[in-house]
Parts: sequence; structure tokens; C-alpha cells
Amino acid sequence: MAISTWGDEAVSELRKHPGTAALMLLISLFLLLFLVIPVVQVVFAAFLDNATGGFTLLNFKDFFNTALFRESFWNSIYVGLMAVVFASLFSMPLAYFTSRFEFRGAVIIQSLGIIPLIMPPFVGAVAMQMLFGRNGSINLLLDQWFGFTIPFMEGLNGVIFVQSIHYFPFILINLSAALQNIDRSMEESAQNLGCSGLRLFRRIVLPLAMPGYVAGASLVFLKVFDDLGTPLLLNVNNMLAPQAYLRIASIGIKDPMGYVISVILVVIALGSMWLAMLSLKGKDYATVQKGGGGLAKRKMRPWEKFFAWLIVLLIMGLVLAPHIGLSLLSFGTIWSYSVFPDAFTVKHFATIFAETPEYMSNTVLYSALAATIDVIIGTAIAYIVLRTKLIGRQWLDYVAMSAVAIPGLVIGIGYLRTFHGYQVPWLENQSLATWWLAIVVALAIRRLPYALRACTASLQQVSVSLEESAENLGAGKFSTVRKIVVPLMAGGILAGFVTSFATAAVELGMTLMLVSKNSDGPLSYGIYVYMQSAAGRGPGAALGMIAVIVVGLCTLVSYIFVDRRQKKLGMGQAN
Amino acid sequence: MKDSVSIEAGLGSAVSVTFEGINLSFGKTHVLKGIDLHINAGEFFAFLGPSGCGKTTLLRLLAGFETAQTGKVIIGDQEMSYLPPWQRNLGMVFQSYALWPHMTIRKNVAFGLEERRVPRDQIKERTNRALELVGLLDLADRRPSQLSGGQQQRVALARTIVVEPQVLLLDEPLSNLDAKLRIQMRHELLDLQRKLSITTIFVTHDQEEANTMADRIALMKDGIIQQVGSPIELYDQPVNRFVADFLGTANFLEGQIKKSGEEWMFLSDNDLAIPVTNSDDHLQSTHCSLVFRPQNIEVASDGVKLKNKAIHFTGTIRSKEFLGSTIRYRVAIRGKEIFADVPHQQGTSLMKDGQEVFLGIDRGHIQVVYD
Repeated sequence: MAISTWGDEAVSELRKHPGTAALMLLISLFLLLFLVIPVVQVVFAAFLDNATGGFTLLNFKDFFNTALFRESFWNSIYVGLMAVVFASLFSMPLAYFTSRFEFRGAVIIQSLGIIPLIMPPFVGAVAMQMLFGRNGSINLLLDQWFGFTIPFMEGLNGVIFVQSIHYFPFILINLSAALQNIDRSMEESAQNLGCSGLRLFRRIVLPLAMPGYVAGASLVFLKVFDDLGTPLLLNVNNMLAPQAYLRIASIGIKDPMGYVISVILVVIALGSMWLAMLSLKGKDYATVQKGGGGLAKRKMRPWEKFFAWLIVLLIMGLVLAPHIGLSLLSFGTIWSYSVFPDAFTVKHFATIFAETPEYMSNTVLYSALAATIDVIIGTAIAYIVLRTKLIGRQWLDYVAMSAVAIPGLVIGIGYLRTFHGYQVPWLENQSLATWWLAIVVALAIRRLPYALRACTASLQQVSVSLEESAENLGAGKFSTVRKIVVPLMAGGILAGFVTSFATAAVELGMTLMLVSKNSDGPLSYGIYVYMQSAAGRGPGAALGMIAVIVVGLCTLVSYIFVDRRQKKLGMGQAN
Repeated sequence: MKDSVSIEAGLGSAVSVTFEGINLSFGKTHVLKGIDLHINAGEFFAFLGPSGCGKTTLLRLLAGFETAQTGKVIIGDQEMSYLPPWQRNLGMVFQSYALWPHMTIRKNVAFGLEERRVPRDQIKERTNRALELVGLLDLADRRPSQLSGGQQQRVALARTIVVEPQVLLLDEPLSNLDAKLRIQMRHELLDLQRKLSITTIFVTHDQEEANTMADRIALMKDGIIQQVGSPIELYDQPVNRFVADFLGTANFLEGQIKKSGEEWMFLSDNDLAIPVTNSDDHLQSTHCSLVFRPQNIEVASDGVKLKNKAIHFTGTIRSKEFLGSTIRYRVAIRGKEIFADVPHQQGTSLMKDGQEVFLGIDRGHIQVVYD
């Protein structure tokens, strides 16, 4: 006997959560207006026949018929794949050392997994040129001592080199986690059945760790494939993202090629995520039992220890290179055809504070606003998805998360396409698309997935009965959310805020599209503008240093806060 | 818990709880099917049943966390079917205790009073009294994670009774405690309930827990209340095979009843004919079972000893289990195996496996039940 129909249940859900339903509607409208419509507009424009206004595939045909675009397409794929290869080369030995051996360098390896993430690749790109370029410090030394040079930074090599140094932690972190999640009993039962050594590694350990590796590798590919800042700063233009930017910047928003490239970027991004998901399907291999944990670790033999340290120190040198280079550049006077700058000075910092303080104040303002929007929406969506049965709640989550697959550049182009024709009513000559608040909204949309995941994860840790017991004791929905849910989610919300803030502070692809005047530009934009000229490199690097410090501090603060809170509440294992 | 302090909660003002025609579905799953139930004021009442029977859903419905598609929930003389949980004034102790980890014990207990806008000095006083009642006043400034399971349970209890709820709801209250603590808490809960004389409903899947604590039990299966009654009523007069089987150990003989002359006989599938009390004509030939408990069977190696029993079988001992106070024999009667319990006294000799034995049972100890 079926008593209720689907419709009845929907109505009763509405009656149960009228306020939440209204909030859901508001958020849906926000996402529709600032994420869905701009992206749809981009796709629409890519298939639009400019002459007739009808549907056409001509633009794509034109794209593939143009030698430059074809070259850019393959270059982007090549760079993405090579970055994955090099990132894997960096991370595999590191993950192996920590999970397989009692190794003192494990602490260093852990920090190696974080240091690159606090600096986006484009910030260090020019500094890397100074260190590893044709006339950079390393090649000067090599030439002087051994009479040869290595083309680290020639053309696409430079992009691959810089990107893999920056993004290998994604593989390292995922792979280490996967290895640590393999229970010792997995290995021991294989040994019990007569399998050992390399064969054991190949047949048991590697397959179990594979999902973690694939997840990390697909993320690296995605990041590298979409990145606009690094190739632009290294002056490599024959890749997809720079081509899209240059077409829109030079020819204008009417040119269809920018949209075609955007669609290709999105499709490849979605494709690589889908492939990764497909290969991970049904492979949740977390096998650690209570009380067990991790593969068996053994002490290294002396020669193993020697090689391990050699590799760790070499990778550490590479990881720290952008930071060292950036520091030298920001404190150096003149640095050209020499191993080190001629002398050191603080005048670059004085310059940026005196001439362009707005880059910094804008960054703080934009990022703080965007991160605030993100955690509010993130908390609301997490609550709607996990605590109500409102119809369409899953779609809200999917749409908000889909921003992950949309490159910043594409969102920027979408905003130009969608909002360019509208004026801010009370400002003269200010298009809505390039207004500073539009930049804030775009940043919020782009960083929403990070905040949303953090909020969802922390709400998942809060047992529903904690809320029900508050309601049972007389607290209404709002009171329960305020006194129980939000305080218990505080760690996750803060982590979400800081991640959104830190990543929004160094977003370049989108800001390049949307900033119309220097006074509206944030840090990342400032770094790009300064780095255009040789004379601006010092101040640009100084801005880069500020960005690194801001992001680094944020990461540290959130780590300490979340860690301490988890310990205090004893929530680590409970719930 | 200390006896000297008392919380005035509900004293002399216990209320009854009534469910009328409750139907509840989650999507396509029909979880509660036509529940009608009246719980008396001041009663200690148990919802008992296997997992998935709907007992917890029924409790959550009463607390306001679920909404039924049809039917009424009446507490005292007030209908509450559509009131949100926070307006019902029912105290619920959750299975996981649901103590808020970000608040101290004192803050946890004071929460409900704060929500009720009770003046500050009273909050302090009542919180202290409730904590004293459960013997945890000296741990008031700790956090839940610093307490043992038993202590957490007491905090959860204090947090609930401090607001003087109309009805106390306990969701599997003892399931997270170890065996020894469980028995201790059973007594404490019972003492507390008697002291507060508050209508109390608890959910459990453990028949021993229900039998030892509850005044009355509603035994549920598949969203339907199978039988309501005192533990002894349910045990001695089960209304169907499920009830008989769920509580304690029971022997079943499958068959049908037939009228021969004026006498009613139970004809089992393995060709036993057993006289039973008169029944309705329309039940003739319908499938049914004969139920009897192992401890009501007398076992003897000599048929003469069983002269006083109305019903006799012969059987073969297959195996035996030593249970301490009794010995449980597995006996085959015409191919059908039953259990027979014999009290164990030191020095009595055991019957051997394979031995032929005589079994006797009183007419009042057998019962015909339908599925």
C-alpha cells in the first residue's frame, strides 16, 4: 500500500523548511546568473554563425584549419602530459620513501608537499627564468665549469618545468594517502601466500595505490592544461589558453575563436575528470582496519639512505628554486648575465607600497569578500544537501562544484560576453562586466568548490542527532544552526574561507580578462603588469613575495586552527 | 545516583501518549502500518522488536523528527501531530547520547533551560541539581570527550530531565555500554523513572532489557504492533508465532486443528494428535502451530512418572547443552526436534544421547497460534 506520492513528500519538505527553501532559491538564482548563463553564453557563441546568427560548426572547422591553433592545441596537450610525467617522477620516490621506510627525511617530504602550493606557478615563472634560463645562474655555472648548458626553460620546456615543480604535490599527497591507506594485512596475506619483493609491490601495493595516483595525475593535467598565467609570463603564446586570451584582448569579444578555445578547454577538462572518475569507479580501496595501518616499514641500508637523501635534497632544491629566485629578484638591484644580482636593496618593496598600494588593498578586499560569499553559500548548500530532502538539492551541489572544471579564463570570457552590454546604473561609463564587484563575484564562483567541499566535509562530521537533541530540548531550526551546527562546523568553515581567500588572492586567468583599469587590479594582475618589462621585474617580484607571504600565512593559520580544534573537541575519531 | 535530591519534574502530573491510525512511509517503503497504541500516564513502556521493525521510527515520530502521512499523535489531551520537535517538550536521550562536543558538561545540561529563557540563577541551580542527581557535579566543567561512556550517558540523561519534559524517550539507551554497566544502568534508569514518575518510553531490541524494565511492551515487526502487554503476558500468552518465537525459546509443532466429535484435536504434520481447547469452526484445517516452552516439558526415562501430565510423547535424545541452572535436551519426536529443559541439581545423572525418553506436558502449557 503506497500512501504518499512523491508530490506529497515534496510539499511536506517545503512545509518543514520554508526558510531553507527560500535560501535555496536565492542561491540557485545566483549560480544561474553568474555561473550557468555566462558559461552557456560562451558555448553558444562558439557555435554561433556571426553572419547569420544561426548554429554552425564553421568556427570549429576554422579553428582546426588554422596551423597556429592546431599547433597550440597539441602543445597544450603535450605540456599537460609531460607535466604529469615529470610531476610523477618527482612524487613517486618521495611517496615511496615515506610509506616504505623509517626515513628521517619524511618531515622534509611532508613540507615539500605544501611549499609549492603556496605560490602559483606564474608568480615564480620569471624568477625561474633568471635561475634556469639560457643565461640564468645555473646555466652560467654549468657553462663555466663544464662547458655545456641545459635548455630547462626553452619554449614549452619552461612551462613544463615550472608547472611540474608547482603541481607535483597533488600527486604526492594523493599517492601518499593511498599508500598509507593500505592495511599491513594486505601485504602480509600476500606474503603468507608466497608473494614477496617487487612482485608483491607490482601485484598488491601498486594496484591498491593506483586510484590515488590517478586522482592526483588528472588534477595536475587539468591545472596545467588550463593555466594562462605561466605561459604568458614565460612568453610562450602557442598554447590554447594564451591564444584565447590574445584573441579576445587584441581582436575583441566579437571574435569567435576565443569562445571556440574556451569550449575546447572546458571539454578537455571535463573529459580528463571523467576519465579519472571512470578509472576510480568502484575502487574505494581504503583498507585500513582499526588498530592496523600502513605498510610495513623498514630501516634503510646505508647506501639506500645516501640515495634517498640525494633525491630528496635535489627535489627540495628544485621546489625551493622559485622561492629563492623570487626572493633574489625582489631584493636584487640588477640581475642580468650573472649568477646572483649585483647588489641587494629594499627599494622594490618601497616602490610597490608607494606607487601601487591598491594592488594589495584590492586583493585583500576582493578575496575577503569572495571567501565570505563562498563560505556562506558553501555552508548553506552543505546544509541543504545533507539535512533536507528538498527537490533539486543534488543539482545545486553539482552546479556549484562544476565551477572546478571551468578555467578562470573561460569564466572571465563568459562575464565579458554576458554582462558587457550592461552599465552600472550609478557609475558613468562603467560596464557591469568589468566592475570590481563583478570580479569579486567571479572569484567567489570560481573558488566556491573549495569552500563547498570543506563545508560539506565538516557538516558530514556533525552527527544529525546533535541537532535533533537541540531541537528536542526546545531549540528551533535557526537557533540550532546558530548554536550547534555552525560552531561545530567552524573548523571546516574557516578552512574553506582561508582556502578560498588564498587561492582567490593569486587568481590570474580570470582577473586578466575582467580588470579594465589598473586601479581595480589585484596582486596577481599587478605581478603580470610589472613583469611585462625588465625594469618592472623587481617590483613584480616584490608583489609576488607579498602574495606568497599572504598565502603561506593563511595556510599556516588554518592548519593550526583546524588541528587544534579537532584535538580539543576530540572529534578526530568520534562521530 | 543520589536519593536525597529530587527534581520536581512531572511529579503527579504524568501524561498519557496515544497513537491513532499512524501510517508512515519513506518513499516507497511503508515503515509504520496503522499503528494504534495507548500508553498510560506514568508507565515505563518499551518498543521492542528486531531491527527494521519501525520501533525507532515510532519513537522519532513521537519526538517530532518524522511526520506521518496519516494518523494522530496525542500527548496528554493535546494533539501534537504537526508540532515541530522544539515545541513538544518531550525529553529524548539519543542512542549516541548526542552530547555537543564544543560545550562543557554544564553548558550541555543548561542548553534546554537557556532555550526556554529560564532566568540565569535558576539555570545554574537546576543544572547543578540535575548533575548532582546523576552524580556528575564534580565533572561539570569537562568536555564530553573526556568522559567515559557511562558518564556520557548520565550527562545525556541529566540534560534531558533538567527541562522537566512531559515524556521521557530513550532510544536504545543501554546499547553503547558494556555488559556490567548495562545492568547497573538498568536499575538506575528504573529508580529514576519511579522517582520522577514520568511517562517513559524506550526502544530496544533486547528482550531481556524490555522484560526487566518495562511495565508494558509493544512488540513490533514489519511496522505493525504484534502484541501489547506486560512482559509475562507476552511470554505466556503470545498471540502469534512471531511473538512466541521472539521472546525466550519456544518449541513449535506445525499442523492444523480438526474437530472430531465434540473434541478438538491438533494434528501435527508429523502425525501427532494432541487434544486442545475448543476453537472456532472456521479455523478448522487452517495452518497453525502448537507452542510450548522447553521448561514446561517434563522428561523422564520412565513413563510412569508422567501420569499427572495430560499430553505425552516419546522421543530420542539427540544432544544436550549445559546452561548452568538447567540442562537443555534436544529431543527428536517423530523426526521433529524440540528443546526440553530439565532443572539441574548437583549430583543428578544425565540422560544419554540416543536414549529413548518420555515427555509430558500440561494442557495449560500448550497453545495454538497462527502465523
